[in-house]
Amino acid sequence: MFFLIRRLAVLVGTLVIASFVVFLIPYLTPGDPVRKILRGRVSDLNVDPVTLENLRRSYGLDRPLLTQFWDWLVKALRGDLGLSYTRRSPVTEMIGSALGVTTVLAITSLLIALVAALLFGSLAAVKRGRPTDTAITSITQGFVAIPEYWLAPVLILVFALQLGALPSAGWRGPESLVLPCLTLALRPMSYFTQVTRASMIDVLESPHITAARARGLTFGATMIRHGLRNALLPVITLFSVWLAGLLGGSVVVEVIFSIPGMGRLLYESVINNDIPTIQAGVISLVGLAVLITTLTDMGYTLINPTVRAAHVSA
Amino acid sequence: MSLLDDHLTSKAPNDAPATGAERGRGRAGLRTWPPSLLVGATLFGLILITLILTPWIMPHDPAAQNLADRLAPSGATHPLGSDHLGRDVLSRLMDGGRFSVSIAAITLLICAVSGTLVGIVCARRGGKFDEFVMRLTDVLLAFPEIIVALFLVAVLGTNYGTLILALVIGGWTPFARLARSVALEIGSHDYIEAARALGCSSSFIMFRHILPNALSPLLAHTAVRFGHKLITVGALSYLGLGIQPPDADWGSMLATAQPYLTKTPGLIIYPGLAIFVTALSVTLIGQGLNARRNQRG
Repeated sequence: MFFLIRRLAVLVGTLVIASFVVFLIPYLTPGDPVRKILRGRVSDLNVDPVTLENLRRSYGLDRPLLTQFWDWLVKALRGDLGLSYTRRSPVTEMIGSALGVTTVLAITSLLIALVAALLFGSLAAVKRGRPTDTAITSITQGFVAIPEYWLAPVLILVFALQLGALPSAGWRGPESLVLPCLTLALRPMSYFTQVTRASMIDVLESPHITAARARGLTFGATMIRHGLRNALLPVITLFSVWLAGLLGGSVVVEVIFSIPGMGRLLYESVINNDIPTIQAGVISLVGLAVLITTLTDMGYTLINPTVRAAHVSA
Repeated sequence: MSLLDDHLTSKAPNDAPATGAERGRGRAGLRTWPPSLLVGATLFGLILITLILTPWIMPHDPAAQNLADRLAPSGATHPLGSDHLGRDVLSRLMDGGRFSVSIAAITLLICAVSGTLVGIVCARRGGKFDEFVMRLTDVLLAFPEIIVALFLVAVLGTNYGTLILALVIGGWTPFARLARSVALEIGSHDYIEAARALGCSSSFIMFRHILPNALSPLLAHTAVRFGHKLITVGALSYLGLGIQPPDADWGSMLATAQPYLTKTPGLIIYPGLAIFVTALSVTLIGQGLNARRNQRG
C-alpha cells in the first residue's frame, strides 16, 4: 500500500513540476510575453507603450509568477489552455482530436508488432539453436537499425507510387493506416520478439510444461495454454512502455505520411512558435506518459508481489 | 525499451575481480571473437576510416553545385549520382556522415560517462539520493527524445547546443540504471567487504574495484545504444532541428530528397543505407560483446 501511495505522490509531483516548466515557456523564450499574445490576436505589432502596459495589467502579467502559474493551472485543469496562435481555435479541441488519431496509430502498430512478435518469438524459442532461430533472431535484431524516415519513403515508393495499392499520405480510412503502422511496428516488433523468445525459453524449460506434456496434452495445446500465457507478462509490460513512447514518438512518421496526430501538431506548433499549442501538447504527452508508466508499474506490482519486494530492497 | 536493455545486458559479472592474467587471456585472438563482433568491428572500422579520411579522399566538393548536371544517375563522374542542385551524392554522404557519427558519438560519450558515475554513486550511497535519482530516471525514460528536442527548440531555438542537450537530457538514464545494478552486484562480493575492512576509502573502492569490473557490460550497452543515437540524430536533422543548411548530414539529405522520390530513388536509398549499415555494425559489436561476456561469465 505504501508503495502505491509513493508512486501516486511521484505522479502528482512530476505533473506539477512539468506543468510549471511548460507554463514558463513564454517567459523563457526571448521576447515580451504580451507581444507574444498580441501576435496571436492582431497583425499590427506596433502598439504604443501605454497600451502595452494596460494589456499587461489586464492579462495579469504584472503579478507575481507563482500567482500567474496558479491561475494558469486552474484554467488548464478546467480544460482551458487558450487559443492557438495560428489556427485561432481552442487548443484543447485540437489536442483532443490529434490525440485520438495518434492513439489509434500507436495501438494498431503495437498490436501488429505484438502478434508478429508472439509468433516469431515462440517459433524461435521452440526451434532454439537451429537455423530458424538464428534467422529470426538476427533478422529481427537488424530491424532495430532501420530508421523509420528511411523505411517510410521506401514503402511509399513501392506500395503507393509503383503498385498504387495504398495511399501515400493522409488520414482517410483503414487503408491509410497500413503503411504508417507497418513503419512504426518494425522496431517494437524487434524488441518484443527478443523478449518473447527469452521468456518463452524460460517457460519451456520449467517443469509444468513437462508435466502438461506428460498428462498427454498435445504440443500445440501446451504451448498455447501454458507456454504463451506465462511468457506474455514481460511482453505486456514492454507493450505499455512502448505505448507511452509512441504517443509522442511518432513525430517523424506522422510528418512523412501527413497524419493529423499529436506528433505533427506539436512539430508544426514548434515551427510556427504557437506557444499555447506547444504548452498543451507537451503537458498532455507528459501527463499520458507518466500516467501509463505508473499504471503499468502499479498493475505489475499488484499481480506480482515479488516485484514490490525488489523495489523496496533495490 | 530500457526495460529490455536492462534485461538483455545486465548479467552478473565474473565472481572474482579480473586479474591481469585473465584480462590477457581475453585478448587471446580474433578467433575467439563471436562472428557478430568480428563482422561489426570490421564494418564499423571501415566506415570510421572512410569518414576520417574524407577531406582527402572525397571525389568532389560536397557543396559544389552544377545545375546542368542535376539529378544525374550514377556514372563515372558521380559514382552515386547527383542531387537536385547537381551536388555529388557520394561526397555529401561522406561529408555528412562525419556530422551524424560525431554528434552521436559525442552525446553517447557524455551520456555513458555521466550515467555510469551517477549509477555507481547511487549504488554505493543508497538511501534518499538513490531513490530520488531512480524516480527521476523513471520520469525521464517516459519521454521520447524527439519530444524533448521539440520542447527545447521551442525554448532555446535551433542550434547545436540544443541538439546535444536534447540527446543527453534523457540519454544518461539507461546507463545510470545499468551501472547501478552492476555496481550493486559487484558490491555484494566479499572482496569489496575486504577492501573496506582494510580501510580503503569509498572513492578508492569505486574507481579501483567497481568501475573496472563494470566496464565490460557498460561498453556492450554503449555499443547497443549507438545505433539508437545515430537514428535519433538523423531524425532530428530530418525534421530540420539538427544540422542547418548549407551543411548536410544523412538525416537532412533524406529530407531534401523527398520530392525526388520517384525520379531518383537513390537520393533516398543511399543516406538511409548509410545510417542503417553504420547503426547495424555498432549494434553487432554490442551483441558480440554481450555474447562474449556470457560465454565467459
